Amino acid sequence: MTTMKVFRCPGRHGYAVEASPFLPNRLACAASQYYGITGSGSLFVLDQTETGIVLVRSWQWGDGLFDVAWSEANEHVLVAGGGDGSLQLWDSANQNAPLKVAKEHTQEVYSVDWSQTRAENLIASGSWDRSVKVWDQNLGASLATLRGHEGVVYSSIWSPHIPGCIASASGDGTLRVWDVKAAACRLAVPAHKAEILSCDWCKYDQNLVATGSVDCSVCVWDLRNVTQPVNQLLGHSYAIRRVKFSPFSRTVLASCSYDFTVRFWDFGRRLPLLDTVEHHSEFVCGLDFNLHIPHQVVDCSWDETVKIYSPSCLTAAS
Amino acid sequence: MNRLKLISGHLSPGGSAAPLPDLRSSDCGCAAPSSGDEVVVVHGRRTAIGKAKKGSFKDTTPDELLSAVMTAVLKDVGLSPDQLGDVCVGNVLQPGAGALMARVAHFLSGFPEKVPVYTVNRQCSSGLQALLNIAGSIRSGTIQLGLACGVESMSLRSMGDPGDLSSGLSANAKARDCLIPMGVTSENVAERFRVSRRQQDSFALDSQIKAALARDSGLFDQEIVPVSVTVRDESGQERRLEIRRDEGIRAGTTLEDLARLRPAFKPDGTTTAGNSSQVSDGAAAVLLGRRAAVEELGLPVLGVLRGSAVVGVPPDLMGVGPALAIPAALQQAGLKVNDIDVFEINEAFASQAVFCVQRLALPPEKVNPLGGAIALGHPLGCTGARQVVTLLNELRRRGRRAFGVVSMCIGTGMGAAAVFEYPGP
Repeated sequence: MTTMKVFRCPGRHGYAVEASPFLPNRLACAASQYYGITGSGSLFVLDQTETGIVLVRSWQWGDGLFDVAWSEANEHVLVAGGGDGSLQLWDSANQNAPLKVAKEHTQEVYSVDWSQTRAENLIASGSWDRSVKVWDQNLGASLATLRGHEGVVYSSIWSPHIPGCIASASGDGTLRVWDVKAAACRLAVPAHKAEILSCDWCKYDQNLVATGSVDCSVCVWDLRNVTQPVNQLLGHSYAIRRVKFSPFSRTVLASCSYDFTVRFWDFGRRLPLLDTVEHHSEFVCGLDFNLHIPHQVVDCSWDETVKIYSPSCLTAAS
Repeated sequence: MNRLKLISGHLSPGGSAAPLPDLRSSDCGCAAPSSGDEVVVVHGRRTAIGKAKKGSFKDTTPDELLSAVMTAVLKDVGLSPDQLGDVCVGNVLQPGAGALMARVAHFLSGFPEKVPVYTVNRQCSSGLQALLNIAGSIRSGTIQLGLACGVESMSLRSMGDPGDLSSGLSANAKARDCLIPMGVTSENVAERFRVSRRQQDSFALDSQIKAALARDSGLFDQEIVPVSVTVRDESGQERRLEIRRDEGIRAGTTLEDLARLRPAFKPDGTTTAGNSSQVSDGAAAVLLGRRAAVEELGLPVLGVLRGSAVVGVPPDLMGVGPALAIPAALQQAGLKVNDIDVFEINEAFASQAVFCVQRLALPPEKVNPLGGAIALGHPLGCTGARQVVTLLNELRRRGRRAFGVVSMCIGTGMGAAAVFEYPGP
């Protein structure tokens, strides 16, 4: 593995990281005080240098921040979801205060995602109030509220292929696929017998979605036939907090877990586990691939660090 | 919704169908923020191991072997010897455990007189004991950096003179047991714990195969210091040679070859020359330091000493030493057998090595992956230090954070073990 770069945020426990779609060296991290149980939140905009990570900008929020998403339209703009049920729009170029705050969810917002299909520029949010909401890029009043989940929503992710299509993961054990135009649930998959904390779409196959669950497994689903998963990836010893498909390979994905590890998988192989990275001393909650730098990964953990690294298993797998 | 309750629910899911894994504490894979007071291994080298009396080091005095490794270790990392706080050398057979010999080696290496040196003899563990002694001095703040070495010439000295012992020895069973030849203790272990001739030969064969493969793959090339020596043949002719290859390895050994050998210590016994460690010559040196001092000097960290233990066992069954020392060392390090990636267990005899591996339920692929003393040889005072060098180089080769154990049985009834961590690239 090449050098690992570390950013330390003392007193802040990382919940989410995302690499900028515009700037190869930029990333954002949503973190919370006191492990997100209580206290305030911080949003960090970071740049990686040759040897390390520097803070570009940070903001405080009155409640914990649980997810962050970069704008697909403007390289300075990002949206974050907070424990107070709010979404905030931030501008890293200028402001000290958010551009806009939208408070419609009645409970914690655990997931925010910015649509990648450029025609759209919509934001999706998933909340513990069991709903998924869709917003325009200015965070005006929500455009749609998708109800149907019978448990808290942990993750709501736009399909990178199909416009107006969202996948959501819930504490009710189902993976749901929504049609935003019709504001309806098109598919409800009883994917796990335990809570599902994360889901992500395959970047190369519009039918594939991965789910990560409290049952310690990652499942890959083909939405054309959901009677059973295409693959079940076992290895983590505690709940999986986030799954992310690689932007560079159809069958490679990464998962991070309460077991302090990040694992890389290639479900095209007979033995899918590529590597287990153990460089955190607390729950690993945030994970993303860098779109511009192949095989570079960023993660964040409750151990008050954000780490950027290039696991050798990814370069080998390519 | 109560956030704490929600997250706790992720750790003990109420509705999951599978039986809950018991929540248990285990050391996390990430190193805790490292303390500047930790004892770290900076670097280590060894000479090739020569066959005693017949091999290339048969006419080489131990101070020359020792000097070669001490010089090489410091030269490799660019450290001036005057930075050393102390040097400890493990040795068994030289008079006074080689105390004078070690000081001579010092000066042969050009060390300044202000650097002290001493020797230690805990029989087969002396090389490791030297390391533990230096570690202790570092921990007590007596020194910042030290060299732990081991050397033995079994060509020039043998286990002859037992010293001056009380006549009361004959009336004391345990004291008498201390005089039992090592080979007989091997037979005792084989008999008591039912380790068959076949198992011993099989283990010995594996050692030869693994060592030959390691040598031919060049895995020892980095750690071996070439030594220029003079070898005298039968006619008195002297040749100057550079020795850089382990001589004990018998590639091409077969089970049949081993099965043909006659028992060496007991007429109907199972221990043979083929499934025992070889009598050898060699030296090794390991540079240790307090982490803060090491980092300040810009020196690398090859390993971290995480725990150690020395235990006493029955003298007539001395071979069981590792089976007790390893669990004690692991407990001290807060680790379990499963956490360890490589075990370097000295193969004094296949009987005791097999017993220890079985007793501790060690996965065989984790034990002596590059072969052991049966193939390489066992230069008594050198072995412990040599094992540390081989272990840490192997862990580094694997390229990721890993843990290893060095352990050996000790004549007169003891076992020693030390746990090391390779921190990762």
